[in-house]
Amino acid sequence: MATAGDMTHTGSSTAIAGVKDFFNKNLVKILAFSLFLLLALFLLYPIVAVLLKSLKGPEGWTLKYYTVFFTKSYYFQSLYNTLILGLINTFICLVFGFCLAYMATRGPWWLRKPLKIVSLIPLVAPPYLFALSLIILFGRNGFCTKLFGMDWEIYGFDGVAISQCLAFIPLAFMMIENTLQSLNPNLEESAYDMGASEATIIRTITIPLLTPGLLKAALLIFVMTIAEFGNAAILGGRTPFLAPDTYTMITGESDFEMGSVLSVVLIAPCIIIFFIHNYLLEGKKFTTIGGKPVASEPRRITPAIMVPFTLVTLISCGAIALSFLVVLLASFVNILGVDNSLVLTNYFDFTTNYAIYNSIRVSFIAALIGAAIGVLLAYVIVRGNFFGRTFLEMVSLSGFALPGTVLGIGYLLAFSAPPLKLTGTLMILALNCVFRFIAVGVEAGISKLHQINIEIEEASADLGASFLTTFWRIVLPIMFPAFVAGFIYTFMTAIVSLSAVVFLVSPGFDLAAVKIFDAAVYGEIGIASAVTVKLVLIVMLCMATLHYITKKTQTGVAQKGVF
Amino acid sequence: MKKMWLSVVVAVAFAAVVAGSALGEEINAYMGLSPENNKKVVDLVREKTGIQINQTFQSFGEIEAKVKSEAPNFNADMVTGCGSPLAFMAKKNGWTVPFVSAGWKGISDVYADPEGHWFNIANFSFVLVGNKDNLKKKGLKMPTSWKDLLDPKWKGDIVMPSPLSSGTANMMRFSFLALYGDTEGWKFLEALDKNIHHYTRSGNAPTDLVGRGEFTLGITSDENVKARIDKGYPLIWSIPKEGTGYDGTFAFILKGTKKLDTAKKVIFFLGSQEMSSLLSGIGYMTPRPAPNALYGKTTPKYIKIDLAKAAEDRPKNNDLWKSKFRTDFK
Repeated sequence: MATAGDMTHTGSSTAIAGVKDFFNKNLVKILAFSLFLLLALFLLYPIVAVLLKSLKGPEGWTLKYYTVFFTKSYYFQSLYNTLILGLINTFICLVFGFCLAYMATRGPWWLRKPLKIVSLIPLVAPPYLFALSLIILFGRNGFCTKLFGMDWEIYGFDGVAISQCLAFIPLAFMMIENTLQSLNPNLEESAYDMGASEATIIRTITIPLLTPGLLKAALLIFVMTIAEFGNAAILGGRTPFLAPDTYTMITGESDFEMGSVLSVVLIAPCIIIFFIHNYLLEGKKFTTIGGKPVASEPRRITPAIMVPFTLVTLISCGAIALSFLVVLLASFVNILGVDNSLVLTNYFDFTTNYAIYNSIRVSFIAALIGAAIGVLLAYVIVRGNFFGRTFLEMVSLSGFALPGTVLGIGYLLAFSAPPLKLTGTLMILALNCVFRFIAVGVEAGISKLHQINIEIEEASADLGASFLTTFWRIVLPIMFPAFVAGFIYTFMTAIVSLSAVVFLVSPGFDLAAVKIFDAAVYGEIGIASAVTVKLVLIVMLCMATLHYITKKTQTGVAQKGVF
Repeated sequence: MKKMWLSVVVAVAFAAVVAGSALGEEINAYMGLSPENNKKVVDLVREKTGIQINQTFQSFGEIEAKVKSEAPNFNADMVTGCGSPLAFMAKKNGWTVPFVSAGWKGISDVYADPEGHWFNIANFSFVLVGNKDNLKKKGLKMPTSWKDLLDPKWKGDIVMPSPLSSGTANMMRFSFLALYGDTEGWKFLEALDKNIHHYTRSGNAPTDLVGRGEFTLGITSDENVKARIDKGYPLIWSIPKEGTGYDGTFAFILKGTKKLDTAKKVIFFLGSQEMSSLLSGIGYMTPRPAPNALYGKTTPKYIKIDLAKAAEDRPKNNDLWKSKFRTDFK
């Protein structure tokens, strides 16, 4: 599609006067080049820094740190646990996410809204909220443990796997639901009319059409699961995982060489999956033609599907809702499990307010810069015609495959000494979030641009508008929804994410997510819960405001832009 | 018009968000007492000097790692609470700005470096804590000797911090090594390891975990014990008959700071009677005598320790620790 656009562009441009066009085209190239420089500096360079650190000892180049890694069974255990956790979680999240998404798009009307709300709440909460709720319920002095006299050890692999699943099912749901919604239901309906059973339809139509969405979700969840280490660090006990090990290694021992080796090992499976995902998607980008996606009518779902799907839905939504409820309750409890009287003291601990304020600042700056760069990148990738375009696209989308810990350590290694000293500032936190999450804005922008025919831009150019005018009056309004999508995603993810920024906070520039993690690791469940609740409320408030603003402005911009 | 309105909104919001808070005199410090004790010190300093210490709590071990990795481009102006290994290392490597403060006049060499490279604002120790309810339920008694902890009946029911991240745990390790000698000391730690559920990141974490009844026994820093008992946690604490170890809580100015005057004012105040009284009221042993809230009039029995040697042995012992106590592949 992009190539077709480029060809039309070149074709028509020869027809018009060449000078302006030359200038215009070079402007795109200049823009592309400066964007590439930014990516190279803030995305590639930190990763290269990690790689170099892992290969360099005090005496020069060496493989000895890798030798240590592959000969010590401890590290092997850690790697094994990490991969198994990643695979199990990805599988469970996809299955659960699909069931939820299916019910939310094909199920009865009354179910759709509540389902969506419940399963999307966790997106505004730190993922390790579920570790907190598991401790509160099933810890050795937990509520359920005492009530039922249970003898179940949550400190270990099981606990980590359960909390990670609960944390990332919503993400799977969101991504699969997005794709499901854009599938035109006509195909499924005609199959149904022709007598195919529902299971057959799901197997032969829905899932194959969903493949791109499922693959993307799988990639993202795998990477998130093995990198977001809050749950593993809180619940892991003595079960080793790579990400928390890396964290201890860097923050506890400042063993940057071994920490870098662990990061490189962590990044390897992610890159492999990234390439498999790209390979499988080659030529598989089908869309069901037929205009705008419409919400499909509720359908009579056969019991064979209805029962298991409803069960899965109830279990996951129930567990998620319960976790939030439990954390909300715990935030009002004096000493959990000891003195269960209700108090407000946890909320009146204002020491963390500064961190919450910082979190909002960082996320806001990151979202603004990230969404802007994302939209520009998408534009040059789709409309540009220059050497290295595919490479630029790959680099900007690689953020999907980068574990947060790696980018955190990379920033620490790359930007801690002059002339590029950024550590100890607020900006390093914001920049880290910008480039970690830039892929979403880029992708939203690319898909938006693919939907819009280049003819509008060409018409504008033909009528004598300069490149900048065209960009400002035509392209930007079209891209506005992509900008909003990038902004919202970056804002939400940045504010709750821990795995990268935990390495970059410094005195005076603390973040709420890190504070909650510290309190939880420390055993101060009440404080951790209260800060979580505060953070969730603030994020929701921000999202509501954003939603309101975009709704107010979007209609205006869209009208102005397209007509 | 709409678009303009939008850009105005965005610009205003951006400005508001970026501007941030402009307070009075501020200083950034690494500080690792415990989150709540950090706050108490910060509050007292602000109240008496008007200086706001921006700090983020980290374990002593983590502060050590951080300062070591940042040298010589530090991201803070000073350290107001770290263990002896870092303080001695900083002096040796020239990371500090020496400053003989009048505020520390009359304080013994144990608490203030004669050349002014470091200042020890308080000594702390480690104690054994138990959860009263759990002990009663299981019909068990608080151990009276550290060796009692090796009994298999405690298996999986003891928590202690990890010496890789926690200065308190480092202190425990060098104290046991000093008490039993190197060979016997490691044997003791290995036997103890069999009963440890897991090693926590911070030295105070076992106090909370045992206090909430997640585990029955904990070897923990004495810093928060008094506060938790006062708050109503069913905690009981003791120092087994062999005694306990100690380490200081060191403060010093980091080279390269642009706020030397402010840092000096903070150091000056840290040596005051008010600061000692505050910390003593929490349970620390302080440079200027004050009534101690945890130990009262008694002085706990101390294991004889050479802090300089302990600091020197730390890397070697960390390596040994890792080779011994990490889970093997199953």
